[in-house]
Amino acid sequence: MFWRLLWKLLRGSRGRLAVAILALVSGAMVISALLNLELDVERKLTQEFRMLGANLVISPAQDGQTQMPGAASSALMNEKDVLPAIQNLNDPAVVGAAPFLYIVERAGKIPVVVAGTKLEELPKLEPAWKIEGQWTPAPVDQPPAVVGRNVARQLHLSLGSQLPLAYLDRGSEFNVAGILDAGGAEDNQIFVDLAQAQKLAGLPGQIGLVQLSVTGTPKIIADYAARLAASLPSCDVRPIRQVTQAEGELLNRIRLLIVAMVVLILVLTALCVLATMAALAMERREDVGLMKALGGSISRVVGLFMAEVGVLGAAGGIIGTILGLALSHWMGQRVFGAAISPRWEIFPLTIALMIAVALAGALPLRLLGKVKPAVIFRGE
Amino acid sequence: MAPLVQVEGLSKQYGSVRALAGVSFSVEAGEWIAIMGPSGSGKTTLINILGGLDTASAGQAVVDGTDVARLNESGLTRFRAEKVGFVFQQFHLVPYLTAVENVMLAQYFHSTTDEKEAREALERVGLGDRIEHLPGELSGGEQQRVAVARALINHPKLILADEPTGNLDEANEATVIQLFRELHAQGHTILMVTHDPSIARLADRRIEFAHGRLTHITQSLSVEPA
Repeated sequence: MFWRLLWKLLRGSRGRLAVAILALVSGAMVISALLNLELDVERKLTQEFRMLGANLVISPAQDGQTQMPGAASSALMNEKDVLPAIQNLNDPAVVGAAPFLYIVERAGKIPVVVAGTKLEELPKLEPAWKIEGQWTPAPVDQPPAVVGRNVARQLHLSLGSQLPLAYLDRGSEFNVAGILDAGGAEDNQIFVDLAQAQKLAGLPGQIGLVQLSVTGTPKIIADYAARLAASLPSCDVRPIRQVTQAEGELLNRIRLLIVAMVVLILVLTALCVLATMAALAMERREDVGLMKALGGSISRVVGLFMAEVGVLGAAGGIIGTILGLALSHWMGQRVFGAAISPRWEIFPLTIALMIAVALAGALPLRLLGKVKPAVIFRGE
Repeated sequence: MAPLVQVEGLSKQYGSVRALAGVSFSVEAGEWIAIMGPSGSGKTTLINILGGLDTASAGQAVVDGTDVARLNESGLTRFRAEKVGFVFQQFHLVPYLTAVENVMLAQYFHSTTDEKEAREALERVGLGDRIEHLPGELSGGEQQRVAVARALINHPKLILADEPTGNLDEANEATVIQLFRELHAQGHTILMVTHDPSIARLADRRIEFAHGRLTHITQSLSVEPA
């Protein structure tokens, strides 16, 4: 009889309950979408942050090992000491890692900053950089060079141009394989293979610094930096503070915003349910008076209404969550350009929240338990 | 043998209004009592107190050995479920429940439901063909017969009827009164509030009220209605 009564209650007041369930579905939809976004936002944003480039730098300790005249950096490290340490940690959080040797060379009579690096690592390290041409072209007679757009304009270089570079009494000719548009100081530099730069500078095996792009929260990045520092005692391993701090602050702000919105929506949904239930309670005063006159205890009568509201909350939660996951999928496509994968733990959480909100909003129905049958039958 | 209902010095005060003032009477099991009096004389208040719907300000009202005036909320709830059956002037059926479900509602709050028994109760009051109808689809007389079936379903000791024919036309009134006569013949104890002297004459005794006081108790003659 309980379920039969419950069904009749739901059917009997379907007009009013439709308003409540609409509020619950809307609330559940937005909340589940936001919660899904919140759970996935860290992964998505850290992926987005990696577009910003390197966030960790390994450089020689202040008492640097090697000094060289004309080098852009004053101290150098041995690549065989540093790069194996990165490989040994084999951390999947490392998206890209590139060693750099900066030297100031001459292109004709014009001095230019040349960065020797692993060209194939740069697209991973700096995915936002735009290049006309290729980082790693098919081998030709001359080794490849990627030229910053300002340098290319100054030296009248285009793809396939020959680029002679000289350092002290050594010289080498490069083929322009790409023209870089980085939107920064890199537009004034020339990127060549590390071995070529080392050969030109007469510094075989030497590097000035290593830049790494590490995905994850600021804590993950700091932990990785600490482990790397422990295996490289003669080097400084430092997160690029501006980048990692900005990432952390942005993540925290987005999380705070999402939590605030979820709370606000919960309150608004509860208020909407409350308004509907207040009207419903007025309609049901006589029914409650009758039920009590027939020997219905307060707990049994109110329990019936609470079960009804619980069913509404669960139904609103289920429908809303399904719609919300679809909404978060769409939001992911629009905001991040990639779908946000549904997190199934959202389902029970949102449904539980909606049941709680519905029960909270059902306060007027709970108060019906205090109805005095004699008062109702007197028509008061 | 103790009377089924024993009322002693029963009073009820609503603020400054005295609805009942020291009422005393008793009812034997199987009796049909008609309660009469002008509006505001305390008839409904008496029925409500005897049925555990309202509480007394003073005095006692013992029904089947239970002093209703001394029961707390949960005690009154059980009392209403087990000892009394109500028939109201306004029928008070739940509009979204069918006739049989309205009867089963009383079973549900009493103990467990038995649809077969509820259907049989409706058949006994002549509604075998209206069992699945909603109250809105029934005439006033039919609705009141559903209310009677509901009042009887838990085999109460006492049937309390508050102007059960007050909202019925003549034909339906006759049907419902015939039902009460049958119940009385079966041995049910009935306390019925009525304004209609012709109905009151069918009862074993008439108790008359004025201004909250019991003014007359009259033994009826066994007269068949014209």
